Amino acid sequence: MEKFNKKLEELKGDKNPFSVPEGYFDSFPQKLQERIASENTEYYWFARFFQLIKPQFALGFMIVAFAVVAITTVNVVLKNNTDSGIESDLYTRIIEVDASEFSEQHFIDVLYNDEKEIDEQKKEETDHYIHYLVDEDIDYGTLIDEL
Amino acid sequence: MSEYSDKELLDLFKELEKRNYAFSLIVRKYQEKLYWHIRKIVVRHDDTDDILQNTFIKVWKGLEGFREDSKLYTWLYRIATNESLTFLKQQKTKYLLPIVDYENQLKDTLESDLYFNGDEIQRNLQKAILDLPEKQRIVFNLKYFEEMKYDDMAEVLNTSVGALKASYHHAVKKIEKYFKED
Repeated sequence: MEKFNKKLEELKGDKNPFSVPEGYFDSFPQKLQERIASENTEYYWFARFFQLIKPQFALGFMIVAFAVVAITTVNVVLKNNTDSGIESDLYTRIIEVDASEFSEQHFIDVLYNDEKEIDEQKKEETDHYIHYLVDEDIDYGTLIDEL
Repeated sequence: MSEYSDKELLDLFKELEKRNYAFSLIVRKYQEKLYWHIRKIVVRHDDTDDILQNTFIKVWKGLEGFREDSKLYTWLYRIATNESLTFLKQQKTKYLLPIVDYENQLKDTLESDLYFNGDEIQRNLQKAILDLPEKQRIVFNLKYFEEMKYDDMAEVLNTSVGALKASYHHAVKKIEKYFKED
């Protein structure tokens, strides 16, 4: 390898096997400055545009953020309030019956016939209320007055 | 125009009104050295020109924040080296070629390049260097052509001196083997 190292040193010589176009290094600094200047101009216009629309962006973002928080809060509150022992479509069936034709017995029959699964504890409570209404003979009008 | 030292150039750059002048002095001082360093990695003049411009643009943007924890000269070489390696990587993915095929393309360039004027032995040496792995090629170029000290090379390539010496030794052995097989 020592022999080859010597050969490599001889190969190095003074002559560079690569060359450049004439005047390349003389003109390179100018070419570079022009490129930097043009990139700065593009950046300048973008920076100015961004500064102009920044307040509008900030306001828009605040409005959107507020709307998202408000909608999320309303959804969460509504979800909590709709949790009840009797499903809403059952309410609808009850309300569809004309109030003047409302009969407690009909109400009781509907509740007993409801096949939807209800929480056992809530079912017990509901049965208790129904029995109370029937046993005490409390009509619909009295119930409304009490409420 | 007498040449300024790197320290003088950096101090000049810190003065806002002299910044452009300082930068132009840095360009004039280092353009050739960086050009040849890049050229030996990527071979083609046009590619070298692009990479050299990109290098100096990065220097322009980064010089204000240059902390001087390394020498200016090694910092410049590091940027140039990274830009060259990025370029080679882009060439590989651009043409969906493994890097070995791209190196073969560069060898073919040596045969017909207007800006390569070496004799056959010089051409063979360049082809042998192109056969080396990228980082090993850079180590060889920096040591053999530019006679850079290992300490400076360690700053440029962020590698230990021991690893660089081993890398150069292996590179020379591979080139020797290339010449023997040829």
